[in-house]
Amino acid sequence: MTKISPSDVQKLAALSALTLTDEEVASMQTDLTQILGYVEQLRDVDTADIEPTYQPHDLETVVRQDAVIEYGVSQVELLKNAPEQADGSLVVPRVIE
Amino acid sequence: MNLKSITERYQPTIGIECHVQLKTKTKLFSGADNDARDKAPNTTVSPICFGFPGVLPVLNDEALTLAVRAGLALNAELPEISRFERKHYFYPDLPKGYQITQLAEPVIVGGYVDVPQLDGSTRKVRIHHAHLEEDAGKLTHPVSGKESLVDLNRAGTPLIEIVSEADIHSPAEARAYVQELYRLMTFAGVTHGDLYHGNMRFDVNISLASVGQAELGIRTEIKNLNSFRAVEKAAEFEAIRQSEVLDRGEKVVQETRGWNEDKQKTFSQRSKEDAHDYRYFPDPDIPPVRLSRKRVSDVQDSMPMMPAEYRSAWISIGLDESVINSLLTSQVSAHLVATIQHSSGDEHAKRVANWLVSVVDTSGEAGNEVSQLNVESLVELSIMVQDNKLSSTGAKEVLGELRMRGGSAKDIAEAKNLLQVSDEGAIAVIVDEVLADPSSRQALQDIKAGNDKAIGFLVGQVMKKSQGKANPGLAKKLIRERM
Repeated sequence: MTKISPSDVQKLAALSALTLTDEEVASMQTDLTQILGYVEQLRDVDTADIEPTYQPHDLETVVRQDAVIEYGVSQVELLKNAPEQADGSLVVPRVIE
Repeated sequence: MNLKSITERYQPTIGIECHVQLKTKTKLFSGADNDARDKAPNTTVSPICFGFPGVLPVLNDEALTLAVRAGLALNAELPEISRFERKHYFYPDLPKGYQITQLAEPVIVGGYVDVPQLDGSTRKVRIHHAHLEEDAGKLTHPVSGKESLVDLNRAGTPLIEIVSEADIHSPAEARAYVQELYRLMTFAGVTHGDLYHGNMRFDVNISLASVGQAELGIRTEIKNLNSFRAVEKAAEFEAIRQSEVLDRGEKVVQETRGWNEDKQKTFSQRSKEDAHDYRYFPDPDIPPVRLSRKRVSDVQDSMPMMPAEYRSAWISIGLDESVINSLLTSQVSAHLVATIQHSSGDEHAKRVANWLVSVVDTSGEAGNEVSQLNVESLVELSIMVQDNKLSSTGAKEVLGELRMRGGSAKDIAEAKNLLQVSDEGAIAVIVDEVLADPSSRQALQDIKAGNDKAIGFLVGQVMKKSQGKANPGLAKKLIRERM
């Protein structure tokens, strides 16, 4: 069974810009190992002659025409979901020095 | 250290990725307005652009058509099926936490660009593939403060990213390649091609290998260049920088670098080098896309004349290579010349071509101003020059006016008093006056003594007396007759 190490958890956290405590890392390690173990059962199935499945349905080429849609959601409404805004922009912690 | 002294020892190898913004009305997966130029932040956005939970992105059919046009312009293969993937990274310009892009099965595969070189030959640059994806938002970093500001107007704008093979071997070739790519994408109607507004952005991968060594060196990638000139200058700077590293016996560090336009230098962007783990997987929101052969051939039928076709039509009439390349910066001017060639013949086309290159903006970095020009007035102007009714200097002046305001070439020439007098009788009167003038005596003696150049002085006097309207060729002929 694939083992998830504390450093694997730390790396995943870093990729998502999350900071985890040691306890959280340990608990994630257990959870992720179990999830992977569950999914690994699929390895027992012989898929040699089976096309990969990308979607659970047969939809194909779902497109829309190139015309502007009015979504009826104002700028104010969109922005208010963010913790902080200023002059119509979203405000985030500075990302460059 | 200059580039020439380096290329005696090292061969640069360059590959270029080019992001082209498609000129759709709406975004790639949302019906929000795609024209964000000079708009207030976060005003051309929708809940889809903001990546809210529960929204469903739906592919813009026009983006697919434009991708097909791009593929045809690149002589590429357009597979029946293409698919979209999620590429994950965490950055404030990417609200969903992933970009919808294509990886394993992109819409455009293979192809090539025949890149014209300065010496008139062409060199093939192969295309690895090109894929559809969405653009990210824009971040600004106010000088004061501990914050960055996010504007999502650009988030979701359709892009195709064109990835070349590493077939380019000098900064000048890199520039020629991106310029030709620009022509192909604008002529095919894929993009507005407004470089100032970032419609085309380039990433340059470059490495050096010792001359004669087959194995490539360690490369660096210069990101986000937005002009032809910057592509050439950044590649040149980087080739020189890498050669200095290698000359010291050190190794080039594989990294992403930025380009400082003011200092004309590249700089290291070490941030998050280790964090590049995009965890691609198929995007369940976007079903696979089938491109019917019928649709591809319909688009093929609607393709306009492309740069290579213009080139072959113009090389055969002896137009200069540099004139051809300048004309091809603007589809409007290229079309004008080709139409004139077709309707009025090669001589008129040639003359007009040489005029247009003096007025069109060849940088490709701003809209050019030939919109007021039309075939009729240009041919009219060309005929006036052919019939000696207008000097070539006069013609350029008329052209300037035509370009700004339109109208009839003849009316403008008359209004500006530029029409040449080609009436022999009228010029003969002036010639006689000039020859009778005591101040001409010296020149007459000089000519008789065998100094034929002195005739220029006399022609000049005739031009002066006629206020520039005499046909100089005719004046010269009349002076000779009288001697």
